[in-house]
Amino acid sequence: MTSAVLSPEAPAVIARRRPQARAAYLIGAISIGVIAIMGAPIVLSALASVKTAADASAAPPHYLPTALSFENYAKVTRFQAGLATYVGNSALVAAIAIAACLAIAAPAGYGLARFALRGKEVAFLVLLAPIMIPYQAILTPLYLDFAKVGLVNTHLGLAVVHTILQLPFSVFLMRSSFEAIPREIEEAAVIDGCSTWQRLTRVFLPLTIPGLVTVALFAFINSWNEFLAALIFMNQDTSFTVPILLVSVRAGKFGAVDWGALQASVIISIIPCLAVYLVLQRYYISGLLSGAVK
Amino acid sequence: MTTRTTCGALAALLITSSVFTTAACADSMTMWVRASGTNAAAHLVDLWNSTHSDKIELTTIPDNQMVTKLATGVQAGEVPDLVSFDLIYMPDFMKAGFLTDLTADLKANPNFASVAEAYVDIATYEGKIYGAGFTPDVSILIWNKDLFKKAGLDPDKPPRTIGEIHEDAKKVHALGADTYGFYFSGSCPGCNIFTTSPMMVAAGSKILPANGSDDALTGDGVKQVLETFREMWTEGLVPKSAQADNGANFTALFKSAKIGIQGCGGFLISDLKHDVPDMNFGVTFLPGVKEGHVSAFVGGDVVAIPVGSKHVPLAKAFIAWELTDEAQLEGLAKNNILPSRPALADNKYFAADPRIVTTAKALGVGYVPWVYHFADMVNSDSSPWINMLQRAIFDGDVDGAITEARDKMKAIAGE
Repeated sequence: MTSAVLSPEAPAVIARRRPQARAAYLIGAISIGVIAIMGAPIVLSALASVKTAADASAAPPHYLPTALSFENYAKVTRFQAGLATYVGNSALVAAIAIAACLAIAAPAGYGLARFALRGKEVAFLVLLAPIMIPYQAILTPLYLDFAKVGLVNTHLGLAVVHTILQLPFSVFLMRSSFEAIPREIEEAAVIDGCSTWQRLTRVFLPLTIPGLVTVALFAFINSWNEFLAALIFMNQDTSFTVPILLVSVRAGKFGAVDWGALQASVIISIIPCLAVYLVLQRYYISGLLSGAVK
Repeated sequence: MTTRTTCGALAALLITSSVFTTAACADSMTMWVRASGTNAAAHLVDLWNSTHSDKIELTTIPDNQMVTKLATGVQAGEVPDLVSFDLIYMPDFMKAGFLTDLTADLKANPNFASVAEAYVDIATYEGKIYGAGFTPDVSILIWNKDLFKKAGLDPDKPPRTIGEIHEDAKKVHALGADTYGFYFSGSCPGCNIFTTSPMMVAAGSKILPANGSDDALTGDGVKQVLETFREMWTEGLVPKSAQADNGANFTALFKSAKIGIQGCGGFLISDLKHDVPDMNFGVTFLPGVKEGHVSAFVGGDVVAIPVGSKHVPLAKAFIAWELTDEAQLEGLAKNNILPSRPALADNKYFAADPRIVTTAKALGVGYVPWVYHFADMVNSDSSPWINMLQRAIFDGDVDGAITEARDKMKAIAGE
C-alpha cells in the first residue's frame, strides 16, 4: 500500500534523500561501532562462560570456546549455599532498600521543593554531605552500632545501610523532580480544595513517576552490586548476597582466578539489572532529564 | 468447621514444636574459612557432619577480607564458633587477644604431639597455644617432564640447585619462542614468599625480622637467588607477562604446558591431574645454591576458636577430632590434601602418587616465619618484599633493592 502510493515519485524522493541517506548510513555505522565496543565485554564474558574450566584459563586466551560446556554455570549454581539463596537475599535486600528510599526521599523532596522552610538550604546541604564521605570509612563503627541493636546479619540491617548510602542522591533527585512541576498546577489543586497531603498523593506523585522510577532503579542497581557492606554486615553463607558469591566463586590459591566461573556468575548477575532496566528505561531516561532541568 | 480448623492448627503447632525440640538437642556451630581454604575445609566439615549429630555450617570469606571481618566481629561480639585462616596471621591475632587459649586441651591430646612443628610454633604465643594445623599446604618445585624430554634433558632428574634451574630453563626455552624455562608471578607478593623465599632460605638466608632489632634478609642467599632470577629474566627464559602477574595466572601458564620449571604449592598436583590429565610432571623440594640444601614455606590454614564463640566445648571437640587418624586420613589424605601430622604421609591414599608423598615430606623441611605485620612486610601490593623482587629482577638493581627492603622491613617490625 505504502509502496504503491510512493512509487510514482520514488526516483525523485531517492534523489532528494541521497545525502540524507548517506548521513544515515554514517550514523548507523558509528552506532554499530559504539554498540560493538560497549557490547564486547558482555559478549566476551558470555563466550568465556561457556568454555570448559581449563579452556577459560588458558594462556594466552582464545576468544572462541573450543568446546561448549556449562560446567561453569553448574559450579556457580551449586556454589556453597546455592545460587538461588544468594539471588533471593540480594532481591530481598534490594526490595527493602527501594521501598525505604521511596518512602523517605519522596516526602523529603516534596518538603524541600515546595515549602518555604527556615534553614531549608542548610538542611539540604547536610543531607547531601554524606556523599562526600567514603562510606568504607564508616562501615566499621556502623557495624559495631548495628551489633548492639541486633541488626547485624539481618537483611533489614543491610537494607538500612544501602538506604543510607542511597538517600542523599535520592532526595536530591526527588527535590529536582518536584521543583520541575509548574507552580500553576499546584495552584489549581489548591483552588480545587486539595489538602497538602492530597496535593502530594493526587497531583505531585503521579507527575513525578519518572523521578520515582529513577530513584527505585538507582536504589536497585546500587544495592544489587554493593559488595563491602554486604560482606561486613552478613556473617553466614546463607545470608550473603550475589556480589560476595562473585568474589568467592572466582577465588583460587594466591589470587589465582577461576575465569570460567567468574564470567558465568557475571552473566547471571547482570540479567536482573538488564531486565529491570529494559522494562523501565522509558521512565528512567525522562527521570534523569527531570533532574537535569534544575 | 471452625473446630476442625482449630484442631488442625493445634496439631500443626504440636508437630512443629516437636520438630524444633528434636532439633534443639543437637547443636549447630558456625565456621568461617577463607576462600582459598574452602575446598579443603569442606571435606573435613562434611565428614564431621556425616558422623556427628552436632553440625557445622561453613561460611566462606574472601581471602583478603578475613582479617577485617574477624577483627570487627570480635569487637562486636559477632563471631563464628570456629575460624580457619592463613596461618601467617596467627601471631597478630594471638597478640590482639582474638583467640581462645587451647593450651590445656591440646597438650592433653595425644595426637597433638605429632603435628608438624611449624604449626605448633606459629600457634604459640607467650607459652600458650591458640590453634592447630587444619588444612596444610607447602611449597614445592614442579617441572614439566614432557618438555624436559623434548629439550634433551633427563625427565626424571629435577634441578637440584638454583644454577641447575637456570641451565635447564635455557634448554627448555630453546624448544621454541613461546616455550619458557621458568615462571614466577612478578607482582604477587604471596606467591613469591611461598615459592621464592624458600630458595633463599635453603641458601642460608633469613628473610623476615621478628622485631625492630632482629636481622632481615641476611646472608648471600637473597642476593644469589635474585641475581639468578634477574639473569633468567634478561635472557627471556621467563615470559614477559610474568612481570604484571598479580597471581591471577600463577598456575595458568604451567597448565598450558608452556613452562619448564616453576615453584608452586602442593595444591597444584590435584589441579593438574584434574585439568590436564595427560601432562607428565614431577615434584621436588625447592633447592638452594648448593646441592642437598632444600627448603619450603609451610602454608595453609590453622583452625582456632575466636573469643566470644558460643559453643566453646563443642568447638574444642571439633579441633580434637580433626587431629585424629580418621579425620586426617579420610578427610584430608583421601582428597589429596596433606595431613598436618607428617607421620601420616605414608598412607594408602598417597601411596599411588609419590609426588604427593614428596610434598608431604616437604612439610618436614619447611619453615614459617613467626612475625607480626606479615601483611605489611610481605602481602600488601607495595610491601618491601615485592618491591625488592621487582626492583632487583626487572630493574636490575639487586644490591640497592636488598638494602632498601631490609631497612623498611625492620622499620615495620619495630612498630
